[in-house]
Amino acid sequence: MSANRRFVSRRDFLFRAGEGISGVALAHMLQQDGLLAAENACDVQGLTSPTAPRKPHFQPKAKAVISLFMSGGVSHVDTFDYKPMLEKHHGKPLTGKGRVRVRQGYPGPLMRSPFKFERHGQCGKLVSDLFPHMGSMVDDLAFVHSCKGRSNDHVLAHYEWNTGSVLMGHPSVGSWVTYGLGSENQSLPGFVVIYDHRGGPFSGPANWSSGYLPASYQGTVFRSQGDPILDLNPPGDLVTRTQQRARLDHLARLNEAHAKRHPGSSELAARIASYELAYRMQGCAPEAVDISQESEATKQLYGMDDPMTEPFGRQCLLARRLVERGVRFIQLYSGALRQQNIDTWDAHSNLIENHTLHAREVDRPIAGLLKDLKQTGLLDETLVVWHSEFGRMPISQRGLGRDHNPHAMTAWMAGAGVQGGQSVGATDEFGYKAEEQVLTYHDLHATMLHLLGMDHTRLTYFFNGRHMRLTDVHGDPIPQLVS
Amino acid sequence: MLRIALVAACSIGVWAVNSVEAATPDFASEVAPILEQRCVQCHGETQQVSDLRLDSRESILEGGKRGPAVEPGNSARSLLYQHVTGQVEPRMPFGSTLAPEEIATLKRWIDSGAEWPAPANEAAEQKVWWAFKDPVRQDPPDSRVHPIDAFLAARLNEKGLERAPRADPRTLVRRAYLDLVGLLPPTEVVDAFAKAPSKEAFSELIDELLDSPRYGERWGRHWLDAVRYADSSGYEHDYDQPHAWRFRDYVIQSFNDDKPYDRFVKEQLAGDELADQSFETLTATGMFRVGPRVLFREKDNPQYRYTYLDDIIATTSRVFLGLTVDCARCHDHKFDPISQMDYYRTMAVFFPYVRYDFPLADEETVFRHTAETEVVSAKIEPLKKQVAKIEAPYKESARKRALASFPEEIQLAVRTPEEERTPGQKLLAAQVTYLRSEKFEDLISDEDSARIAELKDQIAKLEEDLPAPLPTAMGIRDGDYRFAPNGLGDEVQPGKGDREDFSGIDGTWLPEGNYVPPPAHFLPNADYRNKGQTVEPGYIEVLSRGKPFDAKSPPHRISTGRRLALANWIASSENPLTARVMINRIWMHHFGEGLVYTASNFGSMGTRPANPELLDWLATEFVRKGWSIKAMHRLIMNSESYQMASSHADPAAAKADPENKLLWRYRQRRLEGEVIRDIILDASGNLNLEAGGPGFFPPIPEEVRASFPKGKWDMAEPGPENWRRSIYLYAKRGLRYPLFEVFDLPNMNVTCERRTTTTVPTQALTLLNNQFALRQARHYAERVAKLSDEAAGQIREAYRIALSRTPTESELDANLDFLQQQTKYHDGDALAALTDLCDVILNLNEFLYVS
Repeated sequence: MSANRRFVSRRDFLFRAGEGISGVALAHMLQQDGLLAAENACDVQGLTSPTAPRKPHFQPKAKAVISLFMSGGVSHVDTFDYKPMLEKHHGKPLTGKGRVRVRQGYPGPLMRSPFKFERHGQCGKLVSDLFPHMGSMVDDLAFVHSCKGRSNDHVLAHYEWNTGSVLMGHPSVGSWVTYGLGSENQSLPGFVVIYDHRGGPFSGPANWSSGYLPASYQGTVFRSQGDPILDLNPPGDLVTRTQQRARLDHLARLNEAHAKRHPGSSELAARIASYELAYRMQGCAPEAVDISQESEATKQLYGMDDPMTEPFGRQCLLARRLVERGVRFIQLYSGALRQQNIDTWDAHSNLIENHTLHAREVDRPIAGLLKDLKQTGLLDETLVVWHSEFGRMPISQRGLGRDHNPHAMTAWMAGAGVQGGQSVGATDEFGYKAEEQVLTYHDLHATMLHLLGMDHTRLTYFFNGRHMRLTDVHGDPIPQLVS
Repeated sequence: MLRIALVAACSIGVWAVNSVEAATPDFASEVAPILEQRCVQCHGETQQVSDLRLDSRESILEGGKRGPAVEPGNSARSLLYQHVTGQVEPRMPFGSTLAPEEIATLKRWIDSGAEWPAPANEAAEQKVWWAFKDPVRQDPPDSRVHPIDAFLAARLNEKGLERAPRADPRTLVRRAYLDLVGLLPPTEVVDAFAKAPSKEAFSELIDELLDSPRYGERWGRHWLDAVRYADSSGYEHDYDQPHAWRFRDYVIQSFNDDKPYDRFVKEQLAGDELADQSFETLTATGMFRVGPRVLFREKDNPQYRYTYLDDIIATTSRVFLGLTVDCARCHDHKFDPISQMDYYRTMAVFFPYVRYDFPLADEETVFRHTAETEVVSAKIEPLKKQVAKIEAPYKESARKRALASFPEEIQLAVRTPEEERTPGQKLLAAQVTYLRSEKFEDLISDEDSARIAELKDQIAKLEEDLPAPLPTAMGIRDGDYRFAPNGLGDEVQPGKGDREDFSGIDGTWLPEGNYVPPPAHFLPNADYRNKGQTVEPGYIEVLSRGKPFDAKSPPHRISTGRRLALANWIASSENPLTARVMINRIWMHHFGEGLVYTASNFGSMGTRPANPELLDWLATEFVRKGWSIKAMHRLIMNSESYQMASSHADPAAAKADPENKLLWRYRQRRLEGEVIRDIILDASGNLNLEAGGPGFFPPIPEEVRASFPKGKWDMAEPGPENWRRSIYLYAKRGLRYPLFEVFDLPNMNVTCERRTTTTVPTQALTLLNNQFALRQARHYAERVAKLSDEAAGQIREAYRIALSRTPTESELDANLDFLQQQTKYHDGDALAALTDLCDVILNLNEFLYVS
């Protein structure tokens, strides 16, 4: 950690610490860095990098999170939330539930699922034939059927899932987690995003913005091909690694002479260190994404032998490699904002083709990821969350698709000691609205933080006159998942 | 009232001891939160629905229209209990229900006597927070020195400390340049000043810099941070806001003109209502438009307007007053004496606003423009109709074809006569009968295709005759949003959205005749569907001290004059906050930190001023100097405190004041991403100083654009047209320029109080490897190579340009070694080696920091 010391003016540090960082993290940092004992804080060469690992509030079950974001809106009633009543009432209007509001056009009548459901695992969970491979893992998955959001707009719902707010500009959950816990590996970013090979999701980089948190907690996009990070290396083969070293050595020499002329300036030293870190990242990041080191059997497990599953398989395999290397939060997107009805899960007019395509793309890779994490023991300390921004309507849209439904969504969590094979909460008989144990995104966030050893009410950052929280003033960990 | 709950919460320990039996709930932790969160919004200080208040024991016992709310000891006979259980209609809280545990708690509380612990010390609460009191001007403690030095020295001397000596001249001139214009000082200016670094010479230098148009480009940027400026709308579509740049240019010009700050405030808040309105003041109201906006299907989502109003209230109150009034949207402010009613009074000030694009041309020109447009349109219209007529049958065939591609059940529904359709079939049929234009071009016969093409040619030719669009400012004015024209995605379709029904209401979008603005309502739960009483506009009570709200319609347009009244009240020396907040921002940008650290929060959650006497003296001086911002720069920069060395080592001071709160030396600080980019271009000699106009697009990698393909972004090749100053770089909410983003570009969605400065390795990677940085390093090297043809000379020139000094002997030696080594590596290519050195210099701390 010595190459990675961060020096912050005490004023700055104490302000942020006193107001923002949780007491536990603060005490830990002070202790670790000997700052409390220091006589002159300007000269203290203590405080480590902003993403240095920090202790959680209590014993965590998860060290890392993999968030699998199915962008566009996965239909819960066609995947994990089987509704026999749709069969029975197919073609009849949805009544008795208040005014039915749709995003596009008129509400249609109830529509049965075109997919077949079968029981899986010891728990006997009914899963549609869209997800045979995930189906084989149901005993490891804890389903949450009663998630409910506030917006039927893709973008606002993306914001809400990622930040807890439907408004633009709040920090994403990955930023909060790295802010609270730092990261285990300083040679890689603590919060990594790998989006669909076709392009970014709805609302793009706003999804992994650090909002009002310092920029050091924003998500870093990893490309699944070539140099993983933008500007990791100079364009072309201009500069060799030895060359880079020569320049950095010269830079350090000049910088150190300058720092000597400015005694007690902590930031200068931090910047010198950041160049060393950058150099390490140049070596470590390509290594992290170099899947040539993986066996053929592993690649197959992730579906990399099939052109259809290869791209998301690669994303999933990278996620495992990053978890292994101590990255704290990894978010993978399936679905790109190009032609949204085709390239995302947004099945307004083509439920069968759309969901068949995207389910095929992700099913085997996700099951492979779970199996791999399980066999390497990583699943015990890694929380995997599968979700979308909202569910879809049980009613038909022109007999072909389903409109957005913020009233109900199915998500699942796996790993980190979460009891698999259970189903939490329930929607009504048609899957229209969450009905039993209704949960919000705040509850999901509180649960994730809890499993990471953090009390969501104590993870705060002082901004614009308030102690801001990921969960605003809401949310409770879901008891069945954290017990 | 919240206050009650909070006060009660303080007494929790005492009460727990006093409670006699377990069945009695703890008032503070159990009962008060229920009353506070579920009842007092409608039955409290702000509103007393049914004349009932539930915020004190007295008022509960006294009750409302229906009688006493509680009979202590008997829940069954207590109205409060009967209503929350639904035994008596309406069930309370209105529109929701209490949890069974909450009802049980209330029951136990009533049955145990409805005890209510005495309120804590009221007097302490009434104490007025420092920032809400008028600034008190005290004479500087020492009349022989600069007032700023006197105030600062007084505090330093108390601790037995002294301020640092003056910085060396080269550092000083560099500091002044970076501070005031955000550029590198030209080498000749540095040399001249270094020769004769008198106080007077520095003073003259400041005057010259303040006269430079580059000044507004530097200080305008600070203001744009505060008013959350961007060129795109944000959210899903991130639409281009094609006229936003005029507001940006207005801000730059206002700083360059040294517009008095009180005037600057009035123009932005009420430029359309000012008696001497001009194109400039109309452009100023763009402040309300440059925030994040959805701009799509807004009529289907009426809540958006309230989101925008909240953005306006938050921005206005934080930027001008340093208050977080927006915290009071859903409840009274938890920490400051700002009530929920204050929020809605402020909302009522803005409520009449409508978005309006002002043509920036005189009436005659506008008239002529409209007339000319109409003449051409009148010719185009019939041609368009002809096209539509030819296309109509093909569209119908296309619709039928599309219909045929739907599943059988849909077709069956459509085929079935309307009266025989099942309820489900009715829904299915309705879904397809309004099908919008499906692809039909392939159905058109060759002959008709040719006719359409010819007509379209004619239309295109005619369109060339359309007059050029008039320059336009995006601003606001008073009107009635309920009658605003449809925006994007607003076309009416049955069953779509949550559109509000305004039929039966009289009014017009733009005010005419007897203008009655739309009523603003109190929204108890910040839910626009659940409207409370109407609210009249007013000031924030704790600050206005009883001043009546005096809105008058201006003479030149029909308008409520509410924003002007607010602006006049804010931009007044009677307002205890306005001058303090602005002078503190100016101080912050000169010294790295404000005297009040939380520059947009002077409330009780903010920090207290480090030197209150100085802050108040400066605030009153600011007003006395006619709110001149440039006068404040002169005042501050001519002080010895501003001119102190940052490199000064003083172990005693470091021990006594490690945070340098008392300013015993100058604070070194990292430059913003925008300035870093500007000075890299400055060093390379490529900075294009073309000012103003629409934002330019710097080159970015294709894949960055692919991460968010929405809205406007022109892909560009590197060149002078995108080597302009950073303030003119297109500010896109959905896709932030990577170099700025990595260097802590603030969130463009809410006001930025103060930029954070982080140090992360991705910054190093960007400056080391980014195409832009490498290319400019090359140009920088070429520039240096022209100035000298031997290595030592080149090193000296490179230092003079970028660091405003010559290298020391040991630096020179180290750089010579490096050049030699790199020349060898590049097979004798000296320019390549020099490029490597220049690249290193652009990464030096000394280059990236103002010292």
